[in-house]
Amino acid sequence: MRRAVKWAGGTVLVILFLYLPRLFALDYYVHIFIMAAINAILALSLGLIIGFAGQVSLCHAAFYGVGAYTSALMGLHFGLSFWVTLWFGGLLAGLLALALGQLVLRLKGHFLAITTAFFGVLVTVVLNNWVDLTKGPMGLPGIPRPMSGSFIGLNLTFESRSQYYYLALLFVVIVSYVVYRIVNSRIGKALIAIRENEELAQSIGIDTMRYKLFAFALGSAFAGIAGALYAHYILFISPVTFTIGESINILVMVIFGGMTTLTGPILGAVILTILPEFLRMAGALRLVIYGLALMVFIIWMPLGIVGTSKEFLFQRTTRSRTAAASM
Amino acid sequence: MVTIFFQQTLNGVILGSLYMLVALGLSLIFGILEVVNFAHGEFYMVAAFLTLFIMMKLGVPFLVAMLAAMLVMAVFGIIVERVVFRPIVGKPMINGMLVSFGLSTFLMNLALLLFKADPRKIDSGFAHTTIAFLGLRVTLERLLALILGVFLVALLYRFIQNTKTGRAMRAVAQDRIAAQLTGVNVFRIYAITFAIGSVLASAAGAMVGAIFLVAPDMGWTVVLKSFIVVILGGFGSIKGVVFASLIIGLVESLGGGYISYAYKDAYPFLLLVLAFLLRPEGLMGGSKS
Repeated sequence: MRRAVKWAGGTVLVILFLYLPRLFALDYYVHIFIMAAINAILALSLGLIIGFAGQVSLCHAAFYGVGAYTSALMGLHFGLSFWVTLWFGGLLAGLLALALGQLVLRLKGHFLAITTAFFGVLVTVVLNNWVDLTKGPMGLPGIPRPMSGSFIGLNLTFESRSQYYYLALLFVVIVSYVVYRIVNSRIGKALIAIRENEELAQSIGIDTMRYKLFAFALGSAFAGIAGALYAHYILFISPVTFTIGESINILVMVIFGGMTTLTGPILGAVILTILPEFLRMAGALRLVIYGLALMVFIIWMPLGIVGTSKEFLFQRTTRSRTAAASM
Repeated sequence: MVTIFFQQTLNGVILGSLYMLVALGLSLIFGILEVVNFAHGEFYMVAAFLTLFIMMKLGVPFLVAMLAAMLVMAVFGIIVERVVFRPIVGKPMINGMLVSFGLSTFLMNLALLLFKADPRKIDSGFAHTTIAFLGLRVTLERLLALILGVFLVALLYRFIQNTKTGRAMRAVAQDRIAAQLTGVNVFRIYAITFAIGSVLASAAGAMVGAIFLVAPDMGWTVVLKSFIVVILGGFGSIKGVVFASLIIGLVESLGGGYISYAYKDAYPFLLLVLAFLLRPEGLMGGSKS
């Protein structure tokens, strides 16, 4: 019964997502959907690091930026196609995370969070000051669009926004699938064990450092891919997009939806991409309201919307999940 | 050459004493409430604006305005603790971070809205008196920052070591529940901690506003550097924080002078990485997470 409901719900969602650009055909709406998809990739990958491995990273936007800059620069300087540079964006972000992780993942809790936050600042400082490469605060204009091509007899072009939307959606599906397979495998069990009690995990023979590194590097690599998707969509990037504020934004998306699930981060990303659009008319007050809303939200709904509503509906069954969220 | 080196060193020490004031407050709040207060830099920003406006509207001298701002900020700190932080004490650490980040965004953008982005300067009246000794020149203003830093730290140290309240604060930092069992009013300690943290940050904010500039976004980088100070100096140790803030100030000043000024915000992180490489078992000894 529950399975049937899940499948039916899933099918409706898939059809809805596929038809979205038709339902809301305005370019402005499609733009929001594309950003929601990119944010969903970011939130999902951060969810893997924070929700499952339990490692609080405050530099996700830095890897997002590394991916964006890598892909954009390779496209601009070597004339390589987006389909090649995309993977390099992810690869470099992942390798950087691997190197950083070696240093910082032995820290715990607050110390890890602050150190990664400062790494995020470091990346912003470098992006702003390595002017020869990144053009500094001026940003990189003229990033090439993904080349059109034929694939299994289909002619694919990425001129219009709705076509790009499907591309971004495809990546959301791929990333969701990979994360889903990981968290439902032995690796996922090991990650959850580390989140719950690292010493205990270590004592039963889990190489905790290796698993933490794996989750951190893979999550960051996905952020790099999201960065490439962003760069070749907006066609202009500058350091202001990849600051620590953006890292926190992504974190809020993860927490908002509920971080120990897969649907949570996606839901959080979609809602928190759309909601702020309503604040546009507030102009300068926008961020004031955002800050206030964030405080109110955390104080009143500490488990996120999914968690809090579940808590409310089935007080008893979710007790274990609540415990999981309180890392 | 040698004079420039000593001049940069002196500037580094002064810079360090300013970081120290912010970092001590952070360290106290972190030790006692176990909350990472990202909004601490905004306390410092608000205090700088307060000092500026008190001087402008009331025409009082800088030191009086600074003292008034410190008092107002103590009350502000107590209110913020009661309304924003107390509900999330004992909740997951991410909640504390996000709440304080929300507070930081709120205060920074409110300041941006009210006071606009253009940076201003507090005219302390001490900026044009220079004191020269051993070939070094320092403005009275900068010297005042150093003296104020030393004075406040000494005061804080006496307070925490020798008073009953100070002892209660140490007890709460060690074990909240045990302290509660012995009759310590933990909520009162929280309020006092926030008041002290805000007062220290206010002193730093007013001095920075006089020596450098007052701007709505002045708090953000300071707070991150102060966190690095807290990590390097060791959790809950006043001496450690003093030592680490001097190092950060020196590294930034000498690095900015001799290597590259543009990258000066990156040096504290590099220092942290270096510390990780040299002490891979962790910096804090028995770390508390």
